[in-house]
Formats: sequence, C-alpha cells, structure tokens
Amino acid sequence: MSRLLDNKLSRRRFLGLSSCALATVVVGSQVKVLRALAKSGEVGDLTRLPDKSVFTSCEMCVNKCGVIARVRNGVIYKLDPNPDYIKSRDMLCARGNAGIKAMYDPDRLKYPLIREGKRGEGKWRRASWEEALDLVAKNLTELGEKYTRAGTMFLSTEGFQEHFFLMLAECYGSPNTVRHPTLCLASNIQGFGATFGTNPTPDVLNADYIIMSGANRAEAFITPDTIDLLKGDGGRRKLVYLDPRFTKTSAKADEWYPIKAGTDMAFILALIHVIVTESLYDRGFIETMTVGFDQLAVHIEPYTPEWAAAECDIPAADIRRIAREFAAAAPKAVYYQGRRSSFFSNDTQMRRAMAILNAIAGNWDVPGGMIPNGKIKLAEHVYIAPWYDDIPDRLDQGSVTYLSAKDGAWLHFRDRVLAAEPYPVKGMMIYKQNPLQAAPNRAKTLQMMEQMEFICTIDITMSDTAWYSDVVLPEATYLERMDPVESLPGILPVLSLRYQCAEPLFESKPNLWIMQQIAKRLDEEVFESFDYTIEEFVDHQLSNNPAAKQMLEEKGVYYESPTPVYRSSYGKPLRTKSGKIEIYSEKYAENGLDPLPVYTAPEAPPAGRYRLLVGRHAYFTHGTTQNNPWLHDLMPENTLWLNTQEAKKLGLKHGRMVQVKSPVGVQTLKLEVTEKIRPDCVYMAHGFGVLSRGLTNIYGKGACDAALIEDKACPISGNAAMHETFVEISPA
Amino acid sequence: MTNKRYAIVLDTRKCIDCKACTVACKAENGVPIGRDNYRNWVTTEKLRGTYPNLGQSFTPGQCMQCGNTPCNHVCPTKATGVNPDGLVTVEEKKCIGCKYCMTACPYNARYYNEETKAVDKCTFCAHRIYAGGLPACVETCPTKVRVFGDLNDPNSEVSRLLAKHPSRVIKPEMGTKPFLFYLM
Repeated sequence: MSRLLDNKLSRRRFLGLSSCALATVVVGSQVKVLRALAKSGEVGDLTRLPDKSVFTSCEMCVNKCGVIARVRNGVIYKLDPNPDYIKSRDMLCARGNAGIKAMYDPDRLKYPLIREGKRGEGKWRRASWEEALDLVAKNLTELGEKYTRAGTMFLSTEGFQEHFFLMLAECYGSPNTVRHPTLCLASNIQGFGATFGTNPTPDVLNADYIIMSGANRAEAFITPDTIDLLKGDGGRRKLVYLDPRFTKTSAKADEWYPIKAGTDMAFILALIHVIVTESLYDRGFIETMTVGFDQLAVHIEPYTPEWAAAECDIPAADIRRIAREFAAAAPKAVYYQGRRSSFFSNDTQMRRAMAILNAIAGNWDVPGGMIPNGKIKLAEHVYIAPWYDDIPDRLDQGSVTYLSAKDGAWLHFRDRVLAAEPYPVKGMMIYKQNPLQAAPNRAKTLQMMEQMEFICTIDITMSDTAWYSDVVLPEATYLERMDPVESLPGILPVLSLRYQCAEPLFESKPNLWIMQQIAKRLDEEVFESFDYTIEEFVDHQLSNNPAAKQMLEEKGVYYESPTPVYRSSYGKPLRTKSGKIEIYSEKYAENGLDPLPVYTAPEAPPAGRYRLLVGRHAYFTHGTTQNNPWLHDLMPENTLWLNTQEAKKLGLKHGRMVQVKSPVGVQTLKLEVTEKIRPDCVYMAHGFGVLSRGLTNIYGKGACDAALIEDKACPISGNAAMHETFVEISPA
Repeated sequence: MTNKRYAIVLDTRKCIDCKACTVACKAENGVPIGRDNYRNWVTTEKLRGTYPNLGQSFTPGQCMQCGNTPCNHVCPTKATGVNPDGLVTVEEKKCIGCKYCMTACPYNARYYNEETKAVDKCTFCAHRIYAGGLPACVETCPTKVRVFGDLNDPNSEVSRLLAKHPSRVIKPEMGTKPFLFYLM
C-alpha cells in the first residue's frame, strides 16, 4: 500500500523551493492568458458579458463527443460533458477537457503568415488576410494555367468544415484530393465492406465475448466503445486482447496475448478452423444469409491451432479454447475490428478474415453482434461545380485495386508526385492534415514538398507541415465558430452541431470564410457555390427535420433512438454483389485477389534489429495535441520501449539516450526499459520529434516515428503498412 | 452544508489511467500549468510480474477529506478549516505559504499555488456540489470510476456501494480516517 503514492511523491522536492519553482510556472487560467495577451496588445481588453452555457461537440479528436461550454464574461472557463449526448455517454477525456487550451494557447496561429526565408527556416512575415488570400488565389490560378488544375493537390482530414475545403478542390477543378483514410482505416473499410457491403460497428455494450487485435481501446478512444468496454457488467463479459505490447487495454483484459506482430490472421484462421471443424457455427444463419461457406470449409483445413500456435506464439490449447468460448457466446460475440488498420501490407485480407469469423458466428445485426451503421438524413447540399476541359484523371489512378476517388492512396500518390508521372503536381493546399507527422517516410514527404512551387496550410497551430509552407492561414478553433450539422453514423447515430462558444481570438477565421474568400478571388462561378452564411447552411441542412432543429437547440444533440436498433438490415439485400454476406468473394476472385484470406507469414526481424511498432495514447490525437500545455504536462516527450532482456543484451540502461536507425531515417530519444513489450519489437509514441519551432513545448523533445517508418502499403486498399520497418538501436 | 458527510467511492477496476479527471480538475479549479501542480491524480501502479505474465492497476486519488486532519492540526494561521460536511478547505488570504500542511499530509494531496500564493487542494469542487452539481473529476470520468455522495444519507449511491461491497482506505495506519473509499 505504501507504494501507492510513490509515483507522484516527486513534487515534495519543491517544498521550500517556491522561488525557484516560480520560474517554471506558467499562468494557468484562461483569463490570465487573455490578460497577458491584452497587455501585449494581442487581444482586446476583457469586457463584461453575461454568463452562458453553449452546446458544442469536441474536435480534439475524431469522436465528436458532446460538450457544454461554460462561458463567463466571454471566456470559456470549462468544458463539461453533455449528458444527453448518447454517443459519448456523458464523459469528456483528458483531450476533451484540454480543448480550452487549444483555444487559449500562446502557440496558436494568430495572423496570416507569409514565408520570408527558405522553406522550413522559420522566417515569417505577418500579412493581412487580403494580401495572403490574394497570394493564394494568384498561385492557384497560375498553377492551373501551367500544369492544369490537377497540378494542385488538396490534402485534408475529417472535420465539420472539411466539406467546404473539398468543395473548393472540386470547384477549382482538381481531382487530386488526398485524405487520411489510407494512413488509417482504408483496409478495414475494404475488408469488411467486401464481406458485409459495409463496415459495421460492434455492439460492445451488449457483447458477452470480445476479441481485439491491437485496437487499444483503453488508450485509443472511440466513443462509446471505450466506455462500454469497461462497463463490465459484473464480469459477465470477457475481453481477449492481442497486442505485442502490454497496453492499458492489456491491463484491463481478461486475457492478454503478446502475439507475434503481423500474425493475427493466423490466429483468426485457426479460430475459424476450430469453429468449422467442430460445427460450432450458426448453420441456419449461414445457409440463409451468406455465400461461400463450403469453399471456406475446404480453405481453412490446413489452418489448425497447432499450425497457428507456431506462427503467433499463442498456445494451441488457448486458441482452441478461445474459439469454443467465442462460439458458445455467439451471437453475442464479436471479433472487434478496430479502426486504424495500417499495420501490414496484407491488412485487407486480415480484416476479411475477421469479418468472416464474425459472419460464421451469426452475429450480424443482433444484440451484442456486428451492427450496420445507422445514419440520420440531412438535406443534401446541392451545388454545381464549374466544368473544366482537359482535367486528367487522379494522379494515383490505377495504383491500387480499390481506390477511393475522394481519399486517394497517400503513399502511392506521393511516389507519383516525385516521379512526376503521369503529370506534374506542383501545388499543395492543406487543411488540418499534417503529413510530415502522419505519413511514413518523412524524408520523402519533405522531398515532395521541396519540389512544390506553392504550399498553403490552414491550421490552428504551427504544425510541421505549416512550418514548411509558403502561406499559413489561421483557422478559428472549434470553440470559436459555428459548424455545419454532422450526421455521425454508428450504432447510436446522432446529429451533432457546434454552436459558437466565443469570439475568434486574434485574426483567426472559420474555414468557410477562408474558402469563400479564396473562391471569390478565383472566379465568380466558383464563388456561387459558397455564397451563404453558416447559419443559412445549417438551416438548409435541417430544413426537412424541424424536430432535429429543436432538439439540437435544447439538448445539443439529435437522435431518433437512445438505444441501438437491430435487424434493420434483415429482409433487404446487402450492398454486396450477391446481396448476402460474402464469405467467398467473387468480386475479389474477378480482380485476381484471393477470394478467401490466404496467410503469408510476416518477415522476421533480421539479427540485431527490432520491429518498430506505433500506437496511441489517451492524451494525444495523432500528431496534434502533444503541444497542448495540459496534455504536455501528462507526457512531455516520448521514449523508446525496449524489453528488459534485450536491453541487458545490448548493455543499454533505462533512461539513457539511444539512436534508432531505420532504412529511411535516424532519430534519437530516451530509452524506456520495460517488461511491457515483446523482445522482438520496440515502440515509441507518435507525434514527437517535431520540426516546427512554433510548437514551443515539444520542439526538441523525443523522436518522430514518421521519420523512421518505411513507406510500404497494402496493394488492395492502398493503406500504409506501418509495422513493416526494422530498426537498429545503439547508444546515442 | 450541515447534516451531510461527503465522500467519494472509487471502483479502480474501471480506471484506464486516461487522466481525464486530472485535466478536468485543472480547468475547473484554475490549477497552474506544471507537472507538480495538481489537486487530483491517477497513480500508475508498479507493473506486476515479468513478461509475458503481467498485471497493472491504476489508482486515482485526491484529498481524502479526512475525519482526522493532520493538515488542519499543523496550520499556524487557521487557513485550513473543516466544514461541517467534512470538506477540508484552505482560505487563501490566511495562508502564509509555510507548507507545514503539505509535509503533514500523508497523501501528498496539497501543492503550493504560485499564482494565488497559497496552498491549494481538492475540495470535491465545493462550488459545484453546493450548487447541486458533481465534482468535475466525477462528472468527466469516461468509465465513472468515482461515485460522489453523502454518507449520512443511507439511500445515496455511496452509502449503498459501501454497504454492498467491501472497501479499503489508503494508509489506515496513519489514523487519518479518510473519506475516499476504494472498493475491493
């Protein structure tokens, strides 16, 4: 028991040292930040305004949880969870609570900036919006004339105002939008989509048995799954968790297996083998709802638990037992597919194996199973994009089997830009995306940016990508703007809306305004599609649903049912070729792909090298929140996890600096010697080792995983394969 | 508030060490930035076992609003006080920053706030609960590890949880009579 507080006793060293401590203390409250800024003339003086509470939804990550902003005197002093917002179950995580600090952040982008020195040198000139926007429009026009309008790529990532950015790309005339999915979950969407015609949501709250492969839900939050997973219901539910690392999810799981990285498919195929050979599947369901079971029965014959045990480092007896337990719990049993699925280049087929296991458990669209996402309809935004002759196909056309015309294939796209094949791309418009942290092989991304003639980034902080841009435009944070209504699909579909909680600080502007200003400068015809206020836009979205408008105003959320709706897909054909669940994929066979998932073992780490793993923390969203003062306090830098025995072999001590070298980069960071990782792997948290000196809390801290990871990808979905890089560790 | 005895009951099995409580508290109570400034915390307990047989628990905590308050006994200026409902408070104006209370507290629940020039600590968000709300840490918790309530009310959730489940307090040997109860 006395050990309990050991980890936090450190602050006792400050006893009697208050004058020294003073130097490190930064002002805490929002009011004090504002007062400090007012003194320097960066914001106006505080004025007395009435207190109010405003509904919004969080934008610190992608979950969009329900928030009530408490506003006093025009200043947001607290973000509370919205108890009526069913998706997020009346909670806000550390990041959600730290949203205030994203707004009242001295490191925020405050004014439009124009680069003066070399790219990445950090010499900026404060510009007026007028000048910066003129410069953007001038470059877009010139690039269009020189290279066709496809010569500018538009990079963005999800968010309520992304719609306007994608519209600008379309109205400007570039087919080259490059979004985040191929750095995230493209293989999941593909693998589950090929099987069910959609990527369903596991009913975590009602499942009795959950198996997870690396979807670290206790740290990589998804609402409501993270919360529902821990609801536990008196030990009724069982969680089996596979991960080469002992994560916080491992700590909460009933069983944790440190699986050999990249062998999850072998484990799944062996589960299917046991369930099929022991006839533990749902025969009636399979006969009426699926196609291809007979081919599966033959296909899985060689995939015995004994075979899988040697592949995965999980005992055959456990695999057999887990398969039987899973089948016994079915249909209230799910193999949870997770979201980020950018692990290995066989990832689409691995997700297919997961989908097939779920299918034979008969858990489709029933309580505790896999539920197709519901979605509440909004009035569509109809606009007419101008027509341009001579616009070629997407640059990455034909690079992967299934290419999303909206998302593209990130790594393939970059390769083609570098090769200028089939045509040159010389302009970059970036909204919210931060490829220098997000995309594997940072050196290559820098190369791609170097050959650009113009780069403009719209963001709220000086990300690495903004740091390497020519024009940087400051967006208002989510708390300072009204956003379009978003229809969030899922097991608990909701409509979400952001009301403006406070006036935008400095000269930051909502993205809609920025897009309107650029559109206006490009062409009258382009601007026509942007000619409305955000209030008019929202009114139109809700024009067919007055009940939604009322509930959004009263409760900050709209839903049709507070509990999941099951079996809505029964009696209707699924969106697959056969209209049924496709265990055997005819579509894949026609495209020359394995119609059933075939296992290939991952390459073993060469002697003296380790597999580099990436993963998530509950404090950070990708490469975005590490610099937030409150979150930075929780984890000021990242470390390299190395297994105790391996550290001993290498003679490396805990806490020393080490050099990590991969075929594409070298990074230096502190070593964390730990039992919490397989001996053949190393791990570092994402989002450190930044290039931007505009991120003052984290500049010079830790290492960047994107600088080390090689750019390999899944050929079917184009999804990056982030776990296929081997690194050497040496003393730094 | 008279006739009340506030307490928090924690089910640490639900804790995922996400630190939402710590950040919510910093926002709610204007705790200055800095790793050593906090009113509540989550202790990441030492890893149990060796690879691959591992276990780990996470233990949130804050001022235990003790029934027998060492902090109160040592305060030379009566800046620390105890409300009838059990909440232990610090009156900023009276605090001279001698930090005796910080040394006396066996839970390390107090810190010196450089902005207010006074020792600061958890009050169960007295300003929120007296207005009918919940402490910020209780409200924001994703998995609702903490349950807040009045132990003098036998029908409150805290009373019912303690009647139904065995619980422990931290450092009982110190004789502080803490009012944070950890379910076992």
